Amino acid sequence: MTAETVKIECRNVSKIFKQRAGTVQIPVLDDISLRVLENEFLVIVGPGQCGKTTLLRIIAGFETPTAGHVLLDGKEISGPGPDRGMVFQKYTLFPWRTVMANVEMGLKLRGMAKKERREIAGHYIQLVGLQGFEKAYPHELSGGMKQRVGIARAYANDPKVLLLDEPFGQLDAQTRYLMEQETARIWSAEKKTVIFVTNSIDEAVYLADRIITLEGKLPGRVKSSYTVHLPRPREHIDKKFLELRHQITEETELLL
Amino acid sequence: MNAALEHPTTVQGLQRHKSPAAILRRLLKNRYVLYLVSISGLLLIWHFSAVNFATSKYMPTPWMVLKELWRIAHENLAGKDLLGHLWSSLHRVLIGFAIGSAVGVPLGLFMALNRYINNLVKPVFDLIKPMPPISWISLAILWFGIGEESKVFIIAIGAFVPALINSYNGIRLVDPALYDAIRMLGANRWQTMMEVTFPAGFPALFAGLQISLSVAWSCVLAAELVSARSGMGFLIILGMTMSNPSMILSGMVVIAVTAYLITVVLSKVEKWVCPWKVELPQ
Repeated sequence: MTAETVKIECRNVSKIFKQRAGTVQIPVLDDISLRVLENEFLVIVGPGQCGKTTLLRIIAGFETPTAGHVLLDGKEISGPGPDRGMVFQKYTLFPWRTVMANVEMGLKLRGMAKKERREIAGHYIQLVGLQGFEKAYPHELSGGMKQRVGIARAYANDPKVLLLDEPFGQLDAQTRYLMEQETARIWSAEKKTVIFVTNSIDEAVYLADRIITLEGKLPGRVKSSYTVHLPRPREHIDKKFLELRHQITEETELLL
Repeated sequence: MNAALEHPTTVQGLQRHKSPAAILRRLLKNRYVLYLVSISGLLLIWHFSAVNFATSKYMPTPWMVLKELWRIAHENLAGKDLLGHLWSSLHRVLIGFAIGSAVGVPLGLFMALNRYINNLVKPVFDLIKPMPPISWISLAILWFGIGEESKVFIIAIGAFVPALINSYNGIRLVDPALYDAIRMLGANRWQTMMEVTFPAGFPALFAGLQISLSVAWSCVLAAELVSARSGMGFLIILGMTMSNPSMILSGMVVIAVTAYLITVVLSKVEKWVCPWKVELPQ
């Protein structure tokens, strides 16, 4: 374990959105600095409209920061790339591709031979528990299954960092709970550096090695940081779990 | 009966099942029954209006039209039988449709993908778009004569417009999140186009081709009504000059059935090329 290797670093990242006319400026992120260590599971928690998705999209390379830098392995990022895999809130699977073809897409784009990429994609389909659904199209799957495909697709491309943007926000409570367990299991089976964005403190405490909370209004600023020492697999009703959850809730004024 | 009385629920169930109102309600829930009512209703109204009203001189009964259909299917009409004329029209439609969509689809794609091409082509296209394709007919005849070329020209113009509009919109309305997803996986510009832009735009593009084909089919008839020696439009005009309304109606029936069959074939093709498309419930 190289626990102290810094994988992702945000240095004083700020973002101001300009309206079309250029007269109205909306500051979304203000001076965000954070580090994510190798194989660390970092969860960023904040209410809606606090800039957390924007921060993730900056790290992904879809948005450029107005000020500051994002570094991956010490090198500044420019634009999106396969070294950062993303799981989107709205699933965003390719509807014209089967589960197998969705999962192997990244490898195909890289020019990997069919046999080899089938094998890798098959492994991750199995890892997320979708064996037997390789030939299904996304519209034939439930929300939870779609997001499993999204996770497998991101994993199969073997990114250095996995970015998850409120991945279970559109699922019902039962499925969401199940998917949290699955995410913890998959991450334990194949460790990755993960940045996970959510508005649920419960989800954060269940998954995270470390939690960063953002302020509840724009522009988004880092409020506090918590290291979660609870052993895995975690229990939602564990006393220490509830204590930490309570502490974060008290300190963030979030009613979740 | 006695046994039934001992089980009142059964009796009630049976009675409800057998009452005429219930049977009617069940029948009305079956849409094929209503389809049948609708079609036979039309035929009946048609038949009685043809027999009873003043227009009956030029209004043949359904049965007369059917007999006429049988006759023209076997008889030589100005050098061709019914199938021959049908093929003449179809032939023109296919050529005109091929030309119109071969120009319209790529142009629509380029307009959607390139701002400069869009700004160059759009003003001209917006001028052409609202013109009914048939309004070109006189010019087309002056330019190309009354042969095949003028008809194909009209059809090509008719097919061109929806082909362009739909491929343009299909590409422009692709969900931007899909572009994020493919870029995230490491696609370059070319791969992005092949893996997202085209497949995402394809259903709209295909819908455009379907509209193109039905426009082409109405254009060929209009062109043939003006001047032709063969084709379904010509057959209808022939019916008019011979004061034979049965022949006109036979032609119209064949035209409608052909158009319907084309739609059926195209939706089968679509299912084959876009198996991912979600079908709307009826």
